[in-house]
Amino acid sequence: MTISQILFIVMSLVVLGGGVMVVTARNLFHAALFLILSFFGVVGLYLLLDAGFFAAAQFLVYIGAISILIIFAVMLTRGVQLAQPANSQWPAALVISVIVFVIMAIMLGPIAITIGQRQFGDVSWPNVTAGQPAPAVADDSLVRLGQSFVDFNQYGAAFLLTAVLILVAMVGAIWVARDRTLKDVMEERAELAAEEAQEAMLAGLVQQPLPLGEAQSAESPAVPAAHH
Amino acid sequence: MSVIDAINNLLKIISDGVVNLVEGILGPGLGADLIVMGLGAVALCTLAALTFMAMTWAERKVVARIQSRVGPNQAGPFGLLQPIADGIKMFTKEDTTPASADRWVYNAAPLIIATFALVTFAVFPLAPGVVGTNLNIGVFFVIAVGSASTVAILMAGWGSNNKYSLLGAFRTVAQLVGYEVPMLLNVIPVILLAGSMGLADIVQRQTLADGNPGIPFILYLPLSALAFFIAGVAETGRSPFDLLEAESEIVAGFHVEYSGMKFALFMLGEYVNTLAVSIVFATLFLGGYAGPILPPYLWLAIKTAGVFFIFMWLRGTLPRVRVDQLMSLNWKVLVPMSVVNLIAVMILAKLFVTSPGLQAANGGILVTPETQAAILFVANMAILLSGLAIAARRARVLRLAEEADIESRREANRAAASSFVGGAPAK
Amino acid sequence: MLNGIPLYWFLLISAALFCIGLYGALARKNAIAILMGVELMLNAVNINLLAFWRYIAPNSAGGLAFAAFIFVIAAAEAAIGLALMISVYRNTQSVDPDKLDSLKL
Repeated sequence: MTISQILFIVMSLVVLGGGVMVVTARNLFHAALFLILSFFGVVGLYLLLDAGFFAAAQFLVYIGAISILIIFAVMLTRGVQLAQPANSQWPAALVISVIVFVIMAIMLGPIAITIGQRQFGDVSWPNVTAGQPAPAVADDSLVRLGQSFVDFNQYGAAFLLTAVLILVAMVGAIWVARDRTLKDVMEERAELAAEEAQEAMLAGLVQQPLPLGEAQSAESPAVPAAHH
Repeated sequence: MSVIDAINNLLKIISDGVVNLVEGILGPGLGADLIVMGLGAVALCTLAALTFMAMTWAERKVVARIQSRVGPNQAGPFGLLQPIADGIKMFTKEDTTPASADRWVYNAAPLIIATFALVTFAVFPLAPGVVGTNLNIGVFFVIAVGSASTVAILMAGWGSNNKYSLLGAFRTVAQLVGYEVPMLLNVIPVILLAGSMGLADIVQRQTLADGNPGIPFILYLPLSALAFFIAGVAETGRSPFDLLEAESEIVAGFHVEYSGMKFALFMLGEYVNTLAVSIVFATLFLGGYAGPILPPYLWLAIKTAGVFFIFMWLRGTLPRVRVDQLMSLNWKVLVPMSVVNLIAVMILAKLFVTSPGLQAANGGILVTPETQAAILFVANMAILLSGLAIAARRARVLRLAEEADIESRREANRAAASSFVGGAPAK
Repeated sequence: MLNGIPLYWFLLISAALFCIGLYGALARKNAIAILMGVELMLNAVNINLLAFWRYIAPNSAGGLAFAAFIFVIAAAEAAIGLALMISVYRNTQSVDPDKLDSLKL
């Protein structure tokens, strides 16, 4: 049992334990805190994978921003105490989750299963043998990552598109969640009511017999049917 | 080795001695490594705690002198034992817990804040070769760990089961999360010029090849230094941005329900955060431990003390900023200036390179470091002065509009009053 | 740092976290809890990607770039999702997705 294995087991217990508490917690604030605990465990796993930059990024983005966003949303929607955490389809959800996990564990795991003519599992990934250390990471992996983001032959275009995506998300989130006064809400509802009244009037107009009595039978049955 | 060399490298000699001692007992390997790292962590935490005591004393004395009074002078000569008296007071206070507070959350919050404030000390280069761990993402690590303490503030606010505590926590978190943006945006030009995120490399870039100090980055990028300093003042919750703990306003904000040792931990977290921001500013912009005659760690201490003196000066002189003024200062003034500054530095640093290798690789005009410093200084000052002019003009327009609005309302009141039976009141 | 940890341990952990997040996204009554499940799923995917990067192609930038893009997209999606939830709460006073089954207010 090397120290790396012990650290891995501890970190994965934190991650999975936190995850289970998130999906079963009754109090939503506690669920958010367990989510943060799970993120801490993920930071540990990233450090084991020699991805130090991503560990710090996980800290900054997930623990320092997304968790705070989730806690703010929990406070603003006042759903902190739940009568029952699970909805009516939780047995089906549990069965599906277990089935998906079993399928993935077979496909990715070390045990080979033969069903009929085909063999599942025990994929021989290159460069990986149990017990041997993985190949060394280059010292300038971060520099290569940065260069790949500005090189248009690699991921430069995707980088720019992601920047546009964040801009759109920022503007959209601010616009959707903007503070509306009672006057604004009343105005919106009045507009909606006016539109509906107009549609009803149009449908009503066509259903009334035309004053000259011409060609109404060809029109009127078709149009109300098309409306609904 | 002469005495001067010994004094200059004192920290390195001590750390080498400790490593040799431990390896002599246990033999080289993982066990010795872990013990040495543990001792280093203990040493750094002790250094931070002792400096915290000195900082509280210095703050009270300096702020008192700015306010024309003497400050604590009863506990020991010049009040030097005042921090110890404060510590004894904090230890012996009753440790209350609100009745319906969430115990785990309530108790964990000050621990998390104090821990993450101390963890940042692992990457500070105190002398050439003396650093807790020389991460190649040093600056990013400091800012990331500093941002994780905002969660603990929300925990403190919610765990106290107190409406005002929660509101104070929301305002605090809004301020802290908002001011991280100009902090990061202003650290990026420094990283661009230094070519690395590691703090030791940034200090190296500010020293010449023979060990003498070169041009500190504050002369390259005064706007970045100023914006980083303002963001740092707001991040640590000090005056004039100290709405978070304003005793006269929101009843001390999110730590109203804490007393005794837990409150002391909040104070420790705040002062250690201030110390961390001072050391980061000294390392990024003032040249870190580089200096001509004195040993390197003394230079770092002098620079850090200078930055902390400016922190105390601001506290003693400026009035508190209102929360909406604070937010608008951040998003309407600091962030646009920082973005424009970043774009300008990117373009200029690419055009005017200082090393022939870079010129061969990417093209550009080869200049000496002094010329590059001068060009960037001029560009920064231009952006700063034009940004301030625009902000001043807009503030003036807003103020005139507000005054016109008040005037018009006064006129309407007078017109309404003059329609009374008794006639208009005397002007 | 990876002395003796085979690749499939990381893959199993990421699969388990993904399935826990899947259960959370399917079986919870509050829309914000569903979003928490989605965040767990995105973290699982990130662990998977970084494990593959580390073991199979540690000198390439592709795995790291993919993981970085997932960070960004998860943040953007959390922001918009929560903004939508707050807006829905303002209009209907509830964030139960079972009750949001008609387009009319």
